[in-house]
Amino acid sequence: MAMGRRLSRLLDRSLLLSTGPWLVLLLFFLVVRVSKGAPLADLYAQLSRPFWPGSAQSEWLKESQQLEDQQRIATLEGRLARLEQDQQLRNQAGDWITAPVISRRIEGWWQQLELGAGRVQGIKTGAVVTGPGGVLGRISSVTPSTSRVQLLTDPSSRVGVELQGGRGHGLLFGEGSSRPLVKFLNNDVTVQPGDVVVTSRASSVFPANLIIGVVQSVNTQAGPAPQGLVQLSAPADQIDWVRVR
Amino acid sequence: MADRSWWRLQALILTSLLLLLLTIATPAWLRLDGMPPSWPVLWLLPWAVVEGPIAGALAAVLVGLGFDSFYGQGISSIPVLVLLALWWGQFRDARRPLERSTTLGLQALLGSLLLSASFALQLHWRGGSVALAWQVSLAQALLTALLAPVVCSVQVLLWRRLTPDDGR
Repeated sequence: MAMGRRLSRLLDRSLLLSTGPWLVLLLFFLVVRVSKGAPLADLYAQLSRPFWPGSAQSEWLKESQQLEDQQRIATLEGRLARLEQDQQLRNQAGDWITAPVISRRIEGWWQQLELGAGRVQGIKTGAVVTGPGGVLGRISSVTPSTSRVQLLTDPSSRVGVELQGGRGHGLLFGEGSSRPLVKFLNNDVTVQPGDVVVTSRASSVFPANLIIGVVQSVNTQAGPAPQGLVQLSAPADQIDWVRVR
Repeated sequence: MADRSWWRLQALILTSLLLLLLTIATPAWLRLDGMPPSWPVLWLLPWAVVEGPIAGALAAVLVGLGFDSFYGQGISSIPVLVLLALWWGQFRDARRPLERSTTLGLQALLGSLLLSASFALQLHWRGGSVALAWQVSLAQALLTALLAPVVCSVQVLLWRRLTPDDGR
């Protein structure tokens, strides 16, 4: 009986009427808490829309975004063009052809190799010649069964190079000795002995990023930009077989 | 006479071929500091001394063409070889023929140095340079001068024996 009386008192209409709004409020705040204020934020956005800032700043942001997008597209197009050019060079050149060295003239005035493979084997003038370790030079002339290589050390050899990682660009000059000279184009290049020299990405003659050698000594006093002697990673006097493409 | 001319032609062809062969592949033991002797000089000197300036100059053009076909790349040995042949050819009619070993060695030394100087000049005009030009030139000239008394003396004897109108 006592239990029944207490229950009827709890369900009393007046009590329900007085506590109901509090319960609704509690429920509302619970929803707000769980949704992290989303309904309130949306409500605020709808209510404050007439007072939002003018469209000028929004236009500026859109324009800057467009500029950024255009720049990214230009950069990507540049990269794509370079990749396509590189791929084109590779496609034109075909597969690597292995050839024996049948004669070498690596004395002072000329730095040449004679290879025992020529036009019949698919070698073309201007093809790149590499040995174990790195680039040796280019094919300067071809006969049906032989081809002549102008080495990187030849006094008339000029090759566009850069330090690995694209840090500094320069030209590699053959000087008739076993160590060609690299002359950098920029004065602010930081080069030190041990830096790896590779073929330049800007070169239209050699494929990019082929290893040439290692900077052996640096002359920072040379003007207008630093110079360095490069120890080639493929020694022409010891190589008996080369690859041509 | 005709027989001697025939032998001379054969000797000319054979020695020219040997010259070209040695130009392509000089053995390592015949090099000094990596440099081979100046084979065109060693061949041209005895020929010009025996045959005179005109035949010498003609041979110089041929030898120069052969030499340039292997090296070349815009640099020619022909002008200096022709000049050397014209100079050495003057010794044919000299009162004292050029046949002593030391004289041949000295002529070969000068010829080799001149040839190297012409290469250096032509390279310089083309914008190139050789770092160790002096070392290279001296090594080649010394080796050429050392070989000349043997190589050139034998050839002088050979050409004299095979020259049709040789009165010596």
